[in-house]
Amino acid sequence: MIWVAWRQQRTESLIAAGILALLAVLLVPTGLDMASAYHHAGLTACAGHEASGSCGDAVRAFVSRFEQIGNVIAWLTLVPGLIGVLLAAPFVLQLEHGTHRLDWTQSVTRGRWIGGKLGLAIAAALLAALAFTLLMVWWRAPLVHLQGRMEPGIFDSEGVVVFGYTLFALGLALAAGALWRRAVPSLVVGFAGYFAARLFVETWLRQRLLSSHTATWALDRAAPANLTHAWVLTGYPSDKSGHVAALPCPGIHGPGPRLTLLPKCLATQDVAGYMHAIYHPASSFWALQGLETGLFGGVAVVLIAFAAWRTHSHAA
Amino acid sequence: MSSVPALRTDDLGKRYGSTWALRGCTLEIPTGSVTALVGPNGAGKTTLLQLAVGLSRPTCGSVAVLGRSPQEQPRELLPRIGFVAQEHPLHRGFTISETLELGRRLNPRWDGDAARERIDRVGLPLGQKVGKLSGGQQAQVALTLALAKRPELLLLDEPVAALDPLARREFLNSVLEAVSESGVTVVLSSHIVADLERVCDHLVILAGAHTQLAAPIDGILASHPLLTGPRSDAAAVARAHDVIRESHTARQTSLLVRTDRHVYDASWESHEIDLEEIVLAYLGQGRSHFPARETHAEAVAG
Repeated sequence: MIWVAWRQQRTESLIAAGILALLAVLLVPTGLDMASAYHHAGLTACAGHEASGSCGDAVRAFVSRFEQIGNVIAWLTLVPGLIGVLLAAPFVLQLEHGTHRLDWTQSVTRGRWIGGKLGLAIAAALLAALAFTLLMVWWRAPLVHLQGRMEPGIFDSEGVVVFGYTLFALGLALAAGALWRRAVPSLVVGFAGYFAARLFVETWLRQRLLSSHTATWALDRAAPANLTHAWVLTGYPSDKSGHVAALPCPGIHGPGPRLTLLPKCLATQDVAGYMHAIYHPASSFWALQGLETGLFGGVAVVLIAFAAWRTHSHAA
Repeated sequence: MSSVPALRTDDLGKRYGSTWALRGCTLEIPTGSVTALVGPNGAGKTTLLQLAVGLSRPTCGSVAVLGRSPQEQPRELLPRIGFVAQEHPLHRGFTISETLELGRRLNPRWDGDAARERIDRVGLPLGQKVGKLSGGQQAQVALTLALAKRPELLLLDEPVAALDPLARREFLNSVLEAVSESGVTVVLSSHIVADLERVCDHLVILAGAHTQLAAPIDGILASHPLLTGPRSDAAAVARAHDVIRESHTARQTSLLVRTDRHVYDASWESHEIDLEEIVLAYLGQGRSHFPARETHAEAVAG
């Protein structure tokens, strides 16, 4: 059965491998470039105190050089969805073409056939997720060293979440395919659903999975250590108890990155005040990773089980 | 030959949604026979064969193949049945030799030598992609796959419907060859009646989702005389025999009857007619009982 299942999904597996190889071709040169720049600038020693003295300038120069690429690379987070949907295609195509009847009327039972097909698709999806994660983690290592890995766009190609994402796309396309037995609409729904679910989790759900931390600190002091590499949801000038203080500088209110504008504003206005931030600390990384992976992976398991049950009991 | 019938159904029915694709089907097909399953599109031929091979589950009634339930005992039964589905679906991206490899991997009983020898005999290169073959050649590959299981029962769903006359003849010859070589029991469905008499020795007529007739072809021919006689006497015949079809001209009445006795009435003249005409008479009868909805049933079942 394994040989048959492999032969039936060989083309799609090779396409997935091709996509990953193409990614490697794009990422490896810039990754090497970035690693050597990181090394030459002596930034290894700067991790943890990026803001101080000579490190500050070097870090700023390095980050501004590579941040742009990093933002483009963040789009690659769609790739796990693409691969998941792609690996669902052989199963759905077989139901559409009716060739499952050929297999089911050999001597193999329906249960074993479904187990073999779905098992191999899951294995290929996990392998692809592993390759994708390794590539991204390697590529981004210097940036992560300096910026942490909590921000959206970085978080979702680190750790283990990619496994959940890939399985989710696979499961969604399989479930739709078992229901409709039409490849094109099923794969489209699989990918669109992946995109929608990712967007929902990234912009709304993820920050609510754990209760966020808050910090208020005087502006003439350094920010609390907890904020290093944290995912800052909002940060604003405040009074001592953390309530918003109105500042007469336009564009100052807003999420994390704008904090850098603050000293300039304050210098011109001659105000001494406090900062307030709502954030998830870097120490929450694995807890958030686990929750999000469990969420996507759990839904994926339900979807794949549905596809198996539906195919087993309804298809003829 | 064992006494267990190759296929036996008892009040078998299958419903898709609110439409019965097959209903009240009771029949028995003996081992060693070559049986044609005929009926118009939508009569439930595909449904019956899919129930027999375990692809679908009966809504009511029961089906036994070689004495076993296809739904409950697929592990024991599947290796003993060869099945070629309608339009003989094959993996189009596979080569012929990969298709045979699939057969070897999925069947405990597999005669690879015989399969390669058959492919060779019909003149197909093993390295050829299945998707590039003609319909007739694909049908031959599908048949080879089914026969290499060394099945005791071969089920063929509309195997020649899509083939041109030459390919149809070649395919049926291949089936006959297999029968003479291994004595396999064959059930093949068809809505084309021509050619069947040459190949088959049993006939099952499915019409209007009900079985109408299941018998050896010899017996069918002998028991279905066409009677012609004076216009007025039809009622007397109808009392004694089943009238399948009745037609009238100004002075004369023709009756196709089913009878196991000789018709002695001197006012009727008895003729033998060919199988196709008998089948068509039954199909015409089925159609008048069950109009329109049959085509829908086939669409769902297919």
